[in-house]
Amino acid sequence: MNEGMVFGGRAACFLPIILVLCLTRNSNILPVAEGIWLTIPSSGTKCVSEEIQSNVVVLGDYYVIDENNPDHIPTISARVTAPFGNNLHHNENATHGQFAFTTSESGNYLACFWKDGSFQKDSELTLGVDWKTGIAAKDWESVAKKEKIEGVELVLRRLQGIVETIRGNLIYLRDREADMREVSEATNARVAWFSIMSLGVCIAVSVLQIWYLKRYFVKKKLI
Amino acid sequence: MESKWRKIWGLIGLLLLNFVNNVSSLSLTITKVDCVYEIVRSEGDIVSGNFVVVDHHIFWSSDHPGIDFSITSPGGGILHNLKGTSGDKFSFKAPRSGLYQFCFHNPLSTPETIAFYIHIGHIPNEHNLAKNEHLDPINVKIAELREALEAVTTEQKYLKARDAVHRRTNESTKTRVIGYTVGEYILLTIASVLQVVYIRRLFSKSVGYNRI
Repeated sequence: MNEGMVFGGRAACFLPIILVLCLTRNSNILPVAEGIWLTIPSSGTKCVSEEIQSNVVVLGDYYVIDENNPDHIPTISARVTAPFGNNLHHNENATHGQFAFTTSESGNYLACFWKDGSFQKDSELTLGVDWKTGIAAKDWESVAKKEKIEGVELVLRRLQGIVETIRGNLIYLRDREADMREVSEATNARVAWFSIMSLGVCIAVSVLQIWYLKRYFVKKKLI
Repeated sequence: MESKWRKIWGLIGLLLLNFVNNVSSLSLTITKVDCVYEIVRSEGDIVSGNFVVVDHHIFWSSDHPGIDFSITSPGGGILHNLKGTSGDKFSFKAPRSGLYQFCFHNPLSTPETIAFYIHIGHIPNEHNLAKNEHLDPINVKIAELREALEAVTTEQKYLKARDAVHRRTNESTKTRVIGYTVGEYILLTIASVLQVVYIRRLFSKSVGYNRI
């Protein structure tokens, strides 16, 4: 057992390297093609958005993919805006970039990309966007270092994080469903009441009409 | 003994490599045709996802033709083709590795917003490892557990998007009920007042005419 621990200690120096290689998302050393690819049209902007709650970590990474001319990669500009218009990230004339922020309000967060005027060509551009929110954006490497856990335990800790996110999402969905049920029931009651009231308004108005016309004709001595 | 430890750490490292997260949950506004591309690293990966048309016309006619959706494999063959939908789930086993295209086509000219989520799940199996490496079953089980949790997450994203659409419809119904009812009352009153005014004018003129 002693022997195993000594050798384990020596072999354990491999693990941080593997962890670093696996878990670095925003590094240009390892251009891992994660996330989705979008095409940016030659004119106009391409925007992606997500409805995010407050107090959620958002991590974004975008890079231009162009295999046609590797020596002159076209550049793009990017802008990330919060739901009420604040500018969270702005970048011009870049081939890659990254941004990270914690949401302060819940709403629609928008990331827009467009081609720069300097390299105007009629071709479309492929952009890789890696957008991570919540548990996917958590830095597991620092957690592993801080709490000194590694291997299977770290993996299981990640799974526990996912399970907690699932539970949080379920609670959110349940609350939303409760809100919507109240709105639906209120609308249902309103439809019934308003229809009966419109019948009442109709009858009242016609009674008023007849009463007024009768009074008018009597005044004019027609009846 | 050292080689055993090395093997274990190597396997765990390989396992962690599989946890490089291939998830994307975004909304996209499409005008005519828009495609999203994803790279599938090894064949046999399970690609699952869903999409919901969020900006579905809350207007007079609900006979919007819907969005066409297609999945193209790297070889050019079309794996999945849906016409005229307002949202759907899909799941398939990737026949080969490479770049997969997920294309949305909007037959009308008004832009539509689509919320989509794509997840590529990989479970390590014997084929991926070198000849002298041995696959530890616990890693496979952990990967399967992870994929099951990701399936739940995928379903939740779909439910969230559908809930958002339903909420918009609900709010629109509520506004319409109140707005149209109040407008109906006002119009009814105006119509009846106009009727009375017209009858008055009719009789005052003709009476005067008859008298003469």
